[in-house]
Amino acid sequence: MAPKRRPSRRTTARPSRTVDKKAAPNNGMAASRVIREVPPRAAAPTVSKAGAKPVESRGKYVYCVIRSEDALRFGAVGLGTVPAEVSTVHYKDIAAVVSDTPIEVFDATRENVLAHERVNEAVMRDHTVIPMSFGTVFKTRDDIIELLRGAYSAFIDVLLKMEDKVEFGLKVLWERDEVVKQIEREDDDVRQLKSEISSQSGPTYFARVQYGRLVEGALQARSERYVSEIFESLRDVAVASRANKPIGDKMIMNAAFLVSRDREQAFDAKVKAVGAKYAPLTFRYTGPWPPYNFVNIRLKLERATPGG
Amino acid sequence: MPVERTSGGTSLIDVLDRVLDKGIVIDAWVRVSLVGIDLITVEARVVVASIETYLKYSEAVGSLTSASRPAIDGHVSEAVIAENAALRVEIARTRREGTVSRRLRRP
Repeated sequence: MAPKRRPSRRTTARPSRTVDKKAAPNNGMAASRVIREVPPRAAAPTVSKAGAKPVESRGKYVYCVIRSEDALRFGAVGLGTVPAEVSTVHYKDIAAVVSDTPIEVFDATRENVLAHERVNEAVMRDHTVIPMSFGTVFKTRDDIIELLRGAYSAFIDVLLKMEDKVEFGLKVLWERDEVVKQIEREDDDVRQLKSEISSQSGPTYFARVQYGRLVEGALQARSERYVSEIFESLRDVAVASRANKPIGDKMIMNAAFLVSRDREQAFDAKVKAVGAKYAPLTFRYTGPWPPYNFVNIRLKLERATPGG
Repeated sequence: MPVERTSGGTSLIDVLDRVLDKGIVIDAWVRVSLVGIDLITVEARVVVASIETYLKYSEAVGSLTSASRPAIDGHVSEAVIAENAALRVEIARTRREGTVSRRLRRP
C-alpha cells in the first residue's frame, strides 16, 4: 500500500470548475430538512481536524448523473454512519451527484444499498437521473470530471431519451393452489379425472399423470393469458416495458415500465384498475424508480495513448 | 385486493434487483481499481464500452416459466428469494475481493 497522503490540489492543464465551491458553505438552503451532526463544511479544501474520518481517505461516491449547470445540494442523505452531505460535480451541462466517503470498497449491506437508492429518489424528484450502479467510488473530484468528460456524449444521449421518465415495478403473484382449485371447478376434463381418482375404483396411476399434465398445461395457459392481458392493458400509458424473469414459484410476472411523468397518474389508475379486474392475483407495485431497467451504460478504463 | 404503490426504497430485494448491475456500470475490477488509481496521474480515462437503452414495449414472451415448476410452499419460496439476494450480494463481494487481492499481489 502506498503511504496515505493528504490530497493536494493538483495543478492540471485542464481548468477545473470551481463554481460549486463558492456555493458550498451551509447557508440554510436545506432549511426544510432536519440536519443533525453535519460537520461544518469549509469553503476552502481544508477539512476540519475534528472530523471523524481521516482527511487523507476522502473519496467521492457517485450516485447518479443528471443534467444541471447549477451546483446543487441535497442535504445529509448519503452513505455513511452519519449520512454524508450530497452535492454535485459538474462538467459542461451535466453533473454527477456525489458525497464524500472514505476510499474503500463498499459492501452491499442493507444500509448502504438503501442509502444509494434514497439519494437517487431524492434527486429524482426534480431531475431526470441516470442511476449509477452501487459502489462506485472515485479518488478525487477531478477524476469524476474526467468520467463526465469521457462519457459525455453517452450521458447526454441517454439523458435526452430518459427525460421526464421514471420507472415503475410491477410484480404479479398468484396462489397456485387456489388457481388449481379454480381449474378443477372450471375445466371439465380435469374435474372428471379428479373425481375418478378420488373415487378410487381401480388403479389411478395413469389418471394421476394425466391429471398432472392437464393441470400444468392449464396453469401455464392461464399465466400466459393473464400476463399478456396485463401488458396489453398498460401499453397505452407506458413508454416502454421490460419483462424480467419471475422469481420464485408464486410470481407469474416481474416487469418494469418506463412512464412519462405527465402520464404517471394515468399509469397509476390503470394499474389499480387492472388490480381490481384480476382480483385473485396479488400485485406488487413499486416506484417511482430511476430508470435502472431501461439504461445500460458499461464503462471501462483505458490507458491514454503513449505520448498523447 | 386493492393495489397500493410503495416507494422504491422500501423493499431490499427490489432495490438489489436494480442497483447491483443496472444503470451506469463500471467494470467490476475497474471499480476496485478506481479506489486506488488516480485517473489524472496515471493518464487513464473512463471510456464507454457499450450503451443500451430499452425503449420498446415488451410483449412478455419467454418470461413465463414459473407455472410449470413444482409447487413449494410459501415459506420455502420466501426463503429461497432471500437466499438468492444474499448470494448475489456475496458473489458481488467475492468478485470484488478477488480483484482486490489480485491487485495487491502485484509488486
